Amino acid sequence: MGSYLIRRVLRTLLVMIGISVVVFAFVRSIPGDPATALLGERATPEAAAALREQLGLNKPWFINYKDPAHLLDAQFPKYVGQLVQGDLGSGIKSNIPVRDELAARFPATAELAIAALLFALLIGLPTGLLAALRRNSAWDNLATTVSLLGVSMPVFWLGLLLSYFFAVRLGWLPPSARLGNDTVLEPVTGFYVLDALLRGQPAAAWDAVRHLILPAIALGSIPLAIIARITRSSLLEVLGQDYVRTARAKGLTGRAVTLKHALRNALLPVVTVIGLQAGALLGGAVLTETIFSWPGLGSWLYDAISQRDYPVIQGGVIFAALVVSVVNLLVDLSYAVLDPRIQYR
Amino acid sequence: MTTLSPPQAAPKRQQSIFWRRFRRSTPGKVGAVIVALFVLLAVLAPIINPYDPTTDRNYRLNLKPPSVSALWNRDVADTYRDPATGTLNVWAAPFGTDNLGRSVATRVLHGAQLSLKVGVVSTVLALIAGTLLGVLAGYFGGWFDTVVGYLSDVMLAFPSILLAIGFASIFSSDHPPLLIAAMDRLFALHSPQLVTAMLAVSLVQVPVYVRLARAVVLSVREREFVQAAGALGATQSRMIFRHVLPNSLSPLIVQGALSIATATIEVAALGFLGIGAQPPLPEWGTMISDSRQYYVDAPWTMVFPGLAIFLTVLGFNLLGDGLRDVLDPRSTQ
Repeated sequence: MGSYLIRRVLRTLLVMIGISVVVFAFVRSIPGDPATALLGERATPEAAAALREQLGLNKPWFINYKDPAHLLDAQFPKYVGQLVQGDLGSGIKSNIPVRDELAARFPATAELAIAALLFALLIGLPTGLLAALRRNSAWDNLATTVSLLGVSMPVFWLGLLLSYFFAVRLGWLPPSARLGNDTVLEPVTGFYVLDALLRGQPAAAWDAVRHLILPAIALGSIPLAIIARITRSSLLEVLGQDYVRTARAKGLTGRAVTLKHALRNALLPVVTVIGLQAGALLGGAVLTETIFSWPGLGSWLYDAISQRDYPVIQGGVIFAALVVSVVNLLVDLSYAVLDPRIQYR
Repeated sequence: MTTLSPPQAAPKRQQSIFWRRFRRSTPGKVGAVIVALFVLLAVLAPIINPYDPTTDRNYRLNLKPPSVSALWNRDVADTYRDPATGTLNVWAAPFGTDNLGRSVATRVLHGAQLSLKVGVVSTVLALIAGTLLGVLAGYFGGWFDTVVGYLSDVMLAFPSILLAIGFASIFSSDHPPLLIAAMDRLFALHSPQLVTAMLAVSLVQVPVYVRLARAVVLSVREREFVQAAGALGATQSRMIFRHVLPNSLSPLIVQGALSIATATIEVAALGFLGIGAQPPLPEWGTMISDSRQYYVDAPWTMVFPGLAIFLTVLGFNLLGDGLRDVLDPRSTQ
């Protein structure tokens, strides 16, 4: 177990190094010159050159082959050096340190993703369980159909439909942003629902929840469908196994068998799937946040890519990949706790 | 079990077993019908309704509701009535018109061709590249396997849409690289940006096939018939391409049908973000992106292209499920 842990963490670290190389190469390959983008088309060549010098963009990418005495005087080594110190540079446009903006925006995306996942679990798990327990019933067919419709739904279309019906036509819920214009809230953690409760402002908390509902449903639709599907098939598989039959033969009631014996094992693949959804949720956030003007990582990255803001793209994408890798690592490790049958060597 | 049945005249052909099982799979049949319908629409679109998106404008009839509603709505009937002759054609724009007065129905119809081409081509490219890498990695193992596995790990750590956005924004410029320009001509997409988006979506799918093909090859490689072929002196490439690969195809085909669904959504998502196909091309995602300024008053500009994406994706998902029923040995028990 110990050596497995070390190897698994090392693999994650190696993957992180790969990610930083890929992101660096990708970002430098985006056509267009950030100096011109920053100064505008009419800037003098001298001014652009000075800015490139200042930003270090005139140096070679990986190794300074022109000057063998300072081989590491290149963009990549400098970037890795800063990265290790947690310095992600500053946005070219805003001049705000990327780290600060990440810290400000990540809670918004995390709150949205958690809300989406909660929605998916609250609906998806019971749906899948009932479908498996009443196999081939009308409910099972309905659940299977709904989850199939869910995975086939483009997130951005669902978002627009929800916003059209519930915000524009019915006016029940707000169409954009995290809080209404009248709500004043001093952030503590950046999770607005939590913040409002910590500050003792129930009205603000309710406002934050109302703003969360539509984007969370849009973002949670695909995870919901996948969770329902996996729960159903995994519980069906477990219910067919010998130890469940043994438990039944011992005279345990149907409920005790399903809840205590089958469910625990059936939930293992569900945990994996939730882990795998971390990446999908972050990716879906780019679309959902654009539609609902949600001030999180997704809309920020999207803006940064259209404005060629190198440091922001680098920092944001690396951070997103880091989150995905860490979540996957935790999922792998949680297996050891959840399933003692798995042997680690 | 007392009597041995006499040997059958001839074992049932693989194909007939396939069809017999496929006909029993409801999702498979429904999916096949939906997909066939869209393919038919895509093929027939230029014949039933020739269309040039660059010249199609009608400012008198912009953002008007679906003309079918003229049957029960007097206002709509007045809008679509020809001012000169007074005749009314309820099929003028059955899905309504967009901000430039173009029929949404016509554009959705012509978008079918783009979406199907892009979905299929990106999946086939990913399938070929990923399978080849996965088969080689699984068959040979060693450092090649390690490197390929590591690269897949790195790629899978990115949220796929971010990777696709990154790739698409690097290569979508006014002067596309030769390969992209050539593919644009080859598939007649008339949009280098759409080709870039297609390749981006394809690239993102490659590691999925690498892993799948590798896992399948590892299990097939140990089977007796492969070892027998080796014992009989078959060459490496013959072993891989005549024995291992054909017996590893089933899960890859199932995944392929499901991937077309994913690819269709992702290309549309890139179009929606403004990175894929550019206006005036009638790509479904781009149409939804165009509709964002108007959908509050003219929801049909957003509803119908989205419905088209949804149905296509649903069709391929159902087809994939049906193929799995047929091809996956575990589900036949």
